[in-house]
This record gives sequence, C-alpha cells and structure tokens, in this order.
Amino acid sequence: MLSLLSSLTAMPAVPTSEVLHPANLSWAGFILWMPLVSLVLCGLCAACKVKSKAPATITVICLGTSFLLTLVLWNGYTQPETILLFDWLQIHWDGGSFVANFALYVDSLTLLWMLFVTGLGTLIAVYASEYMEHDVGKGYTRFFAGVSVFLFAMTCLVMGDNLLMLYLGWEGVGFASYWLIGYFYQKPSAVAAAKKAFIVNRIGDVGLALAIYLIWSTFGTVQYDEITTVLQSEAYDASFGGWTVHAIPYLLMLAAFGKSAQLPLYVWLPDAMEGPTPVSALIHAATMVTAGVYLIIRTYPLFMLDDYALPTVAWVGGLTALLAATIAMAQYDIKRIMAYSTISQLGYMFLGLGVVTSYGAAYHVFTHAFFKAVLFLTCGAIMHGFAGQLDLRRLSGLRKMKGWKIVSYTMLVGCLCLAGFPFTSGYFSKDAILAEAFVTQGPGFEVLGWLAIFTAGLTAYYTFRVWFRVCAGPVHFEPGDELHGEDTSSFHPHAPRFAINFVLIVIALGALLAALPYFVPNETENLHGGWVAEMVHDSPARDGVPGVIVDGGQAEAHGTINYEIGHGDILGIDPHKAMYYISAIVGFIGIGFALFFHLYCRSAADKLRGKLLASRATRWLPTAMEHKWYVDEIYIATIRSPLWILGKIFSLFDRYFIDGALVNGIAGLPRVLARWFAPLHNGAIQSYAISMIGGAVLITLLMLFMPEIVEFLQSLSEQNASTEQVVATLGGGK
Amino acid sequence: MADRLWFLIPELIVLVGAVVCAIGGLSNGAAIRRRIGFIACGFLLAACIAVPFVYTPERIATADTLLPYLGKYIKFFAALIGILLVMSAGGLMDRKYEHAIKKGKATFSALRTSSGEFHALLLLSIAGVMLICEARDLIWLFLALELVSLPTYVMVAMSRWSKVAQEAAMKYFFLGAVSAALMLYGFALLYAATGTFVFTEMADVFEAQRAAGGVSVFGQIGLLLAIFGLCYKIAAAPMHLYAPDVYQGASAAVTAFLAFIPKTAGMLAIILLCSLVGWEDGLPPVLEMALWVVAVLTMLLGNIGALLQTSTQRMLGYSSIAHSGYMLIGVIAGPPLGIVAVLVYLVIYGATNTSAFASLACLSKDGAPVDSLEDISGLHKRSPLAATSLAVSCGSLLGIPPLFGFWGKLMLFAAGIAAGQLVLVLVAAVASAISAWYYLRLIGLSLLSSTTPQSESVKATLRWPLIAAVISAIIAIGGPLVLSSIVTEAQQAVLAPEE
Repeated sequence: MLSLLSSLTAMPAVPTSEVLHPANLSWAGFILWMPLVSLVLCGLCAACKVKSKAPATITVICLGTSFLLTLVLWNGYTQPETILLFDWLQIHWDGGSFVANFALYVDSLTLLWMLFVTGLGTLIAVYASEYMEHDVGKGYTRFFAGVSVFLFAMTCLVMGDNLLMLYLGWEGVGFASYWLIGYFYQKPSAVAAAKKAFIVNRIGDVGLALAIYLIWSTFGTVQYDEITTVLQSEAYDASFGGWTVHAIPYLLMLAAFGKSAQLPLYVWLPDAMEGPTPVSALIHAATMVTAGVYLIIRTYPLFMLDDYALPTVAWVGGLTALLAATIAMAQYDIKRIMAYSTISQLGYMFLGLGVVTSYGAAYHVFTHAFFKAVLFLTCGAIMHGFAGQLDLRRLSGLRKMKGWKIVSYTMLVGCLCLAGFPFTSGYFSKDAILAEAFVTQGPGFEVLGWLAIFTAGLTAYYTFRVWFRVCAGPVHFEPGDELHGEDTSSFHPHAPRFAINFVLIVIALGALLAALPYFVPNETENLHGGWVAEMVHDSPARDGVPGVIVDGGQAEAHGTINYEIGHGDILGIDPHKAMYYISAIVGFIGIGFALFFHLYCRSAADKLRGKLLASRATRWLPTAMEHKWYVDEIYIATIRSPLWILGKIFSLFDRYFIDGALVNGIAGLPRVLARWFAPLHNGAIQSYAISMIGGAVLITLLMLFMPEIVEFLQSLSEQNASTEQVVATLGGGK
Repeated sequence: MADRLWFLIPELIVLVGAVVCAIGGLSNGAAIRRRIGFIACGFLLAACIAVPFVYTPERIATADTLLPYLGKYIKFFAALIGILLVMSAGGLMDRKYEHAIKKGKATFSALRTSSGEFHALLLLSIAGVMLICEARDLIWLFLALELVSLPTYVMVAMSRWSKVAQEAAMKYFFLGAVSAALMLYGFALLYAATGTFVFTEMADVFEAQRAAGGVSVFGQIGLLLAIFGLCYKIAAAPMHLYAPDVYQGASAAVTAFLAFIPKTAGMLAIILLCSLVGWEDGLPPVLEMALWVVAVLTMLLGNIGALLQTSTQRMLGYSSIAHSGYMLIGVIAGPPLGIVAVLVYLVIYGATNTSAFASLACLSKDGAPVDSLEDISGLHKRSPLAATSLAVSCGSLLGIPPLFGFWGKLMLFAAGIAAGQLVLVLVAAVASAISAWYYLRLIGLSLLSSTTPQSESVKATLRWPLIAAVISAIIAIGGPLVLSSIVTEAQQAVLAPEE
C-alpha cells in the first residue's frame, strides 16, 4: 500500500536497509516473534476448544525461548546495534521523510530491560499455569493469549529502534493490560477497573503521541540514534527548535506518568488489581509500569533540554512515593497494599531519574521487578489457597501452617528487599537514589531527599505490617468469598503445589541475587554501581548529551568526568557513604514499629487508631489515609462529573440539533431528489430514447456555444456594473 | 500484417473457444453439454496464459497502435474476470431441462438447448473487448464495440424465461441501436474533420489543428457525439436510462456481465478517442466540459437513483452507473495518473461488482431468482458465505478503507486532485457519501437483520456462483496486497510507443 503511495507520487524511496549496519543478528527478531507465535498458537487452541493446559505449555516454551535468545544476545553483546527486521513505514517527499522501520535497537539498556521482562515473563507464565487451573478450558487460553500479546508489545516497546515502534508497544501493552484486568469480565468491578486503566492511560498516550510528533517535526526523525546525532551535531545550539524542545520533555513526562502510575495519573493502578494475580505481578508491578522509566531513560537527552524538566520529574516522583506510602499504611487488602507500594517504588524511580541517576533508577527497576513480583505472587498464592481472602486482619500465622512455609519465607525475602533491609538488593538500589538526591544540586532536592528517607521508613513499616500480620503470630484464618461448593466451617486452605512453589523460590533467589550486580567490578573507570551501571553506561541515559551542556550544573554533576563538581553532602558527610547507615537505621525503625503494633501487641494498633479517631483534631488522618486521601472522589467531582454533564449536554445537542435538524435534513434531501427523478424512469422506451438523444444534444449545444453564453453572461454583469456605476456617480453627484 | 495477427492470438483463442462451446452445446453427450462452462473457462485461462507470451517487448516494438501495451493489461484481466463471470453464470442455463433429461422426463433436442450458445456469446463479447485494444482505426473500433454489444442483447433475452427479460432485451437492443447511430454519426464527423480513419493519422491532424488554434468544430462535435454514443456502453448520463430496467430484467449473472464487459469496452474506447486529441495542455475545453458535466450527472443521478430502490439488482444497477461517473474523473485527469487509475479501477470494480452480483445469482427462493431487498434480509443465517461476500463486495464498492475498492477510489480521487479537478472530486466524495446509504443498507440487511417471513425460503442453491462470489470477495479483501503490481502493469499499459 505504501509502495502504491510512493508510485502515485512517483518519488524514489531510498531503502534505508542499505544504510544500516549489515548485522547477522537477524535471529534476534525471534525474541520479538516468539510471543507472537505463542499468541497464534493460543488462538488455534481457542479455535479448537482445547480443554487442557496446552496453552500454558506453549506460552512457557515460547517465552522461555525468547528469554534464552535474550541471554545469548546479551552474552555476545559488544556495541549498540540496529537489527532491521523489515521496512515498515517509509515516506519520502521533497525535503523531508518519515522513516520508521520495524527494526530492533540493541544496546545494553535494551538488554537490561529485556532480561527481566522475558525472564520474569517466563517464570510468571509457569506460575500462572497452576494459578489459573480453575479456568482450564474456559478462560485459560484467553489468559495466555493475553500474556503473549503483552510480551510481544512489551518487546516492541523496549527493543524498537524508533519512537513509533515504542508507541506501537506502548499502546499494545495498554491494550493487553485492559484485556487482562478485565479478565473476569462477568465481574462489574473488573470491567470498571479495566476501563479506568485504559482511559487514564489514554491521557498519557496523548502526551506520547504529541511528543513523537513534535520530536519528528523538530529533529526530522523518530529514530533514537538519529535524534542523538542531531543533538550532537554542531548545528545545534541553545536556540534550537524554539518552544518545541521545551514542550517535548513535559509531554513525554505525561506519557510516563500515565503508564507508570505517578501523580496525578496513578489512580488506575490500585484498581488494576482486579485482574488475576500473575497479571498484577507481571504487568502491574514488574514490567509494564516501568515502561515510563524506560521512556525517560531512553529520551534522557531530550530532558536535558529544559531546565525544569528533570526537577519536575523528581518532585512528582518523590511526592507520589510519599502519598502512596501513606495510603498503603492504612489499607487492609494485602494486594492493594502491594499496589500502592508499587506506585510508591515507581515514585522512587522517577525521583532517581529526576536527580540524574539513571543508574539508580534502572537498578531500582531491576531489583524491584524481582522482589515485587515475588510479593505479588505470594499474595496470589494466599488468595488462591484461602478462597480469595486478602484481608490482613483475617489471616495470621501462615508460616506455622503445613505447606505454607515456602510462601511465608519467600514473602519475607520480598519484604526485606522492599523495606531496604541492609544487604538486600532493595537496600542498594534505594540507597543509590537517596544518596543522589543529596548529591545533585537542584530546586529543593535536599528536602526531597529527606522526604524520601521518611518514605523509606514508612515503606519498612507497611511492608512488615503485612508480613507480621499474615505470616507471623498465632494461626488463624477465615476463608474469602470465592468458595467453590465448600462452606465456611469445613474450609481447608489448599497449599500451593510444585509450579507455584518453584517459581516463588526462583524469583525470591533472584531478588536476593539482584544485590550481586552492585559488587560486580566495572570495566569502565570512575563508575560505581557495578553491572547495572555498566549496562546503563552505553545508553543515552548516562550522560545526557555529550558535548552539549544545556543545564550545566545538573547534566554534568554526575557525568563521569566532572564527578566532583557540584557534589552535595548530607550532614557534612559524603551521601554515598552516609546513606548506607541512614537508610538502614530508618528501615529498622520502621520494622520496629511494625513489630510492636502488628506482632507483639496487635491490640495497640487498634487502640492507637481508636484514639486518633476519637480526637477531633486527629480524626482526619486515619480516615483520609484509609480513603486514599479521597483522590478518586476529588477526580470524580472535578473531572468526571463536569465531563459527564458536558457529555449529556452535547448528547442532547447532537440528538436534537445535529442529528435532528442537520443530518436528517441533509440525508432527506437525496431521497426527495430520488422521488423527484423517479418519473424519468417510466419504463417507456420512447421516452428513454428521447431523453437520451435530447440530453446528448443539449449538452453538445451547451458546450459548443459556451463561449457565446459566457460572453452573454459577462455582458450582462458588465451592464449591471455600469448601471451601478451610473447610480453611484449619480449618488455622488448629489 | 503478420504482426497484427500475432497480437490477436488471445482473441483467436477465445474465438475458438466460442466455436467449441457453440458446437459442444449441441452435443448428444450430456457430459459435454454440462461441462460447457468448464470448456469456456479453460479457453479463457488459455488466453490469459497466452498474453505474457504474446506481448513480449520485441513484438510490442513493432506494434502500430496508439497504446501498444494496453492490450497486455486489458486482455489479461478481461479473461481473468471473464472466468469469474462464467462461474457466476454456472447453473443459469438449461439447468431444469438437463435435470429433466437425466430423470428421463424429457429427451434432448438441439433446438431447446441454449447453454452452448450462451457461453459462445459470452466468449464472443469478451473477444470484442480484447479487440478494442488492437483498434488502429475507427472502423475496427466500431466493429469491436458491436462485437461486444450484440451478444449481450441476446444474452439478456436468453437469461430468463420471463417477459421481464424479453422486455429488457428489447429496450437494450433498440436503445443500443440509437446510441450506436449517435456514435457512428460522430465517427463520420470525425472523418469529415480529419479525412482519415486511422488513429495515428487522426492524431497528427488534430495536433496540427490544435497548433493552428484549436480542434475544428466538426472534430469537436464528432468527438462529443462519439463519446455520447459510448456513454451508452458505460451507462453514463444522459445515456444511462436503460441501465436500471435492463439490469433488473436480466438474471444476476448476466447483469454482472453487463456491468463489466461493455463498460470496459466503452471506457477503453473513450480513452482511445480522447487520446486522439491528447491531454497535453488539457483536453479541448468543449470536450473537457462535456465530460465534466457527464461525470457529475452520472455520479449524482446514479447514487441518488439507487436510494429508494426495492430491488437489489436495480439498486446495484444504479450503483454501477455511479461507478462510471467515478471512472470519468480519471479520464478527465488524463495520463499518466488518471488513466492508470481508470485501468486499475476497472479491474477492482470488475472483481467486486462480480462478487456482488454472483452472491445474488447463487440465491434462489423456491426455485425462482431473488430480486427484492427484503429477500436478502437475514441472509447470514441461511447462507453465511453468500451474505459475507455480498457485504464485503458492497463494502469494497463503497470504498471502506482496507478493502480493494478504497484503493481504486483513492487513486481516482488523487488523480483528480493532481489534475486540479478539485470540484469534481468533491462532488465525487459527496456522491460516495450518498452511496453509503444504500450500500450500508445492503450490508446491514444481509449481515445484521433478522429473517422475515418473505426471506425464509431464500437459500444459496447454486454452487458455482457462490464459489465465484467467495473468490471475488477474497479478491476484494486480499487484492490490496497485489495492488502495487497491478498499478505497475497499468502504468506500463499507458506508455506511449517508443519512437
């Protein structure tokens, strides 16, 4: 079709495939294609009404292949490479072009993301094969097809070599997320949650679409490497691009905040927990929600173009982290607590991006993917075993129950990492961000740093609140409301079996081992942070735009070369060293509170709550926290209701004016004409012949005497004009 | 001379096919009689295969027609769509009679059978279209055009044993004669203006006249009258009046034929006549204005006329009038874009229109053909294949984006805009929008409505028309994949001979 357009406009299309590096890496395309193969096979299973676990096997094998290929690619990685799969969109015209190929851009950043995306994807598919077994035959295929779609879209998003492919993946993961949140489509709340997620994400998507357009119109390309080339070129100077370069980062930010659930667009993520738990673990904790972080890292150079772009990211991230942590403290549904904790941790990542430590953000994404996945999966196992029970007040002492030990202790591992317990992976990755907040000089970054440390304490508290309540203490449980034919009195929790336990152990080990990269020595000099830093180093994320200092202080503050310039401190000590102790202490304090309120003296927690509620001055605090600070209600009052009323007005206007008067009026016209012309077709051959010949003669005569007719008309108008002139002169004469 | 015969090989194959069909239809062997359709398809296929071998670059270099490559394109696609048309006529002729013979209720009589003649006439008409491409002078053009038309008059009369069909055939024949007279008068005036019948010489004379200040009045009137005569073939206003009656009166398979083969012939002839004066510096204003008026009238009258019809065939008949109007945009726009667009559109329109009529042809209601709109209501329940192909072809005719018809319309409109005919394209767009009314109604009736008492007994009974409908519906969906190669072929077809 595009070749049609090009042939129509007769423009020679230059095949860019010749320009590209002739890589022999085309097999890497299978990382992208395998999920698609899985989708097709799942579709076939659905068509054949397969009533076995075949879809799960297919998906696991395909995703596993993807993961292995990613490993091989990572192993043989030397330098950034573009792998052309096929020519996608190539439109050329005089003085411009729009080229977006279906090509993969493989650099270490891509590989870092792909390693945990495909790896966790495979493991979670294994987990889901057992978790979803109650749905075998009905929704089983649909579920795994959805997971395949998601993996395909996520791979597009991460591996694409241009923004359009990223956009394709971006929309694709949004669609897969909608598909899987609404998996239990008979449940109204699930449908509403799916819609909410989709619509809120659309707001961000608008930002992305506009940003891509502006990037294309400013830089003339949507390919990452070419954008960097333009930025580095000598033609570039501070006045380059005018207002667009200042608008681009904010639009990209909007997109990232939507997808990664940051203020003010975070509201969809807690509701997204309506989906099956593996989905929450994979999409809404480990992978998809980090797409926003990826987007910003990928387009970091563009964020350097505006002085206030990165500080905005930092502040939004820091405030989201605090807000979500306070909400998480007062929730009772453990899955929902994990959802808010995800938002909070994403906030940390954005804080890291904002204070120019893309390494810290990427490392936190990496470790968070593991420990949050394990936390969600344990929640899922509990939900699965206790008939949907997720209320932490109705579960207790799981670790003493038969068959629940693995769940309890893997959960403990996850909690330790999330709380930032010393020498766990979360400890190192969070420290990198916290320390950087004090290192980098920026508007209020020090305040932000203290806020983040405070949030770290809250995180430790709410995390261990869950663990001490659910896994420790005396054995006690009440089943949830998803009893399948059993009644409450005879209920026996069914402990997870091999697949779930296996995956839990593997991911928990992964969460622990994720600390190791921190100690891997760097090949690049002056670079601390180990393997992840090394991975982020090659990408555009590390130093922003080499050679161009737009925001001198910030962009260069953490550059490898001028490391000492503008290096801040905390209480007079180097933040990188001090933070090891500060965050450990804060974490212990948080855990200590949790230990007291939720293990040793559980009644104290209720008493404290009662006291707070009793006093008029403090009543608002627990109420507001339990009601999530009323953000949903505020959105409904300020945005949804006005829009709804406006929609009603427009609907009435449309029905009665546009449809009623205009559309039906215009649509009626041809029908009236049709009735008018009907007598022409009276079926009599004579009248047909006369009409035919008459028409032909009439048109011929008209055409032949057209010059005369035109002349006549002209003379008429001239006469008119002259009469007017006469009148005018007469009038003037008076 | 030998060279000219060489280019006629596809026509000769089809002519031989016509003779074989005519004789085979009279055979005593029921097996041969019943397979006339296959024989016709076989010869058309052979003609198709022969085309690339006939039109080798060395041979084309020796050709002396105005557009030497045109034949390659037209003959190939005319034969290809011809196969679909033969398929959609499968089971139309002599079905009951053959059935009776098989049961022993009747004996075979050569006088009562008509299947062989029908297929022979069909092939002859296709051969006529092919011959137009080789026309070197007006006489040849006229004879070829009559070879296209005359068999169709008979086919309309044969297609149904009913008064409606006889009436339609009579109207078609008499009005056709009137239009042929008009056209011949035009040809005579052209001769008067140029003193020759040969195209190349006429083109030279016109060029000289234009250089001297414009085409002579005789030439202008001659061109106008000849084109009005040809408007009958393409069913364009004001010569379109016969179309609804005839298209409704004939059986659906024959209507599919009428809507494609004579229309292709007429379009080609119009392109040939226009290329006599050439599009350089624009067509002569008189001619251009006349074509403009004809195009606008055709598009509007066709689409508006279709709105209130209650007969599907009549509705599609009006729609085929409108499509002629769209194609005239391409003629006005001129080469290369416009003519390429027309040639491509002919193929697209041929395939999708065949699908629409074939999906009607395969239906029957208690043994009688289906005509009223209400009959196809809820068709998807009883014959999902026929309903889907009808819907797809209507979508394609309407020009819904991924389908084949959309690309055809896009090319025509793009050519129109490129030629500066913005108003014309706007009119076409409005006309297209109006056409959505009845196309969507057909789609809705066949796919979404529920069965009514009247449509309960409507079923897809004929196998071959259904197959033809499905194949052409697949073309309508998958065609865009091969569009670029069709466009390349069409671009080659309008290349002027190398001098």
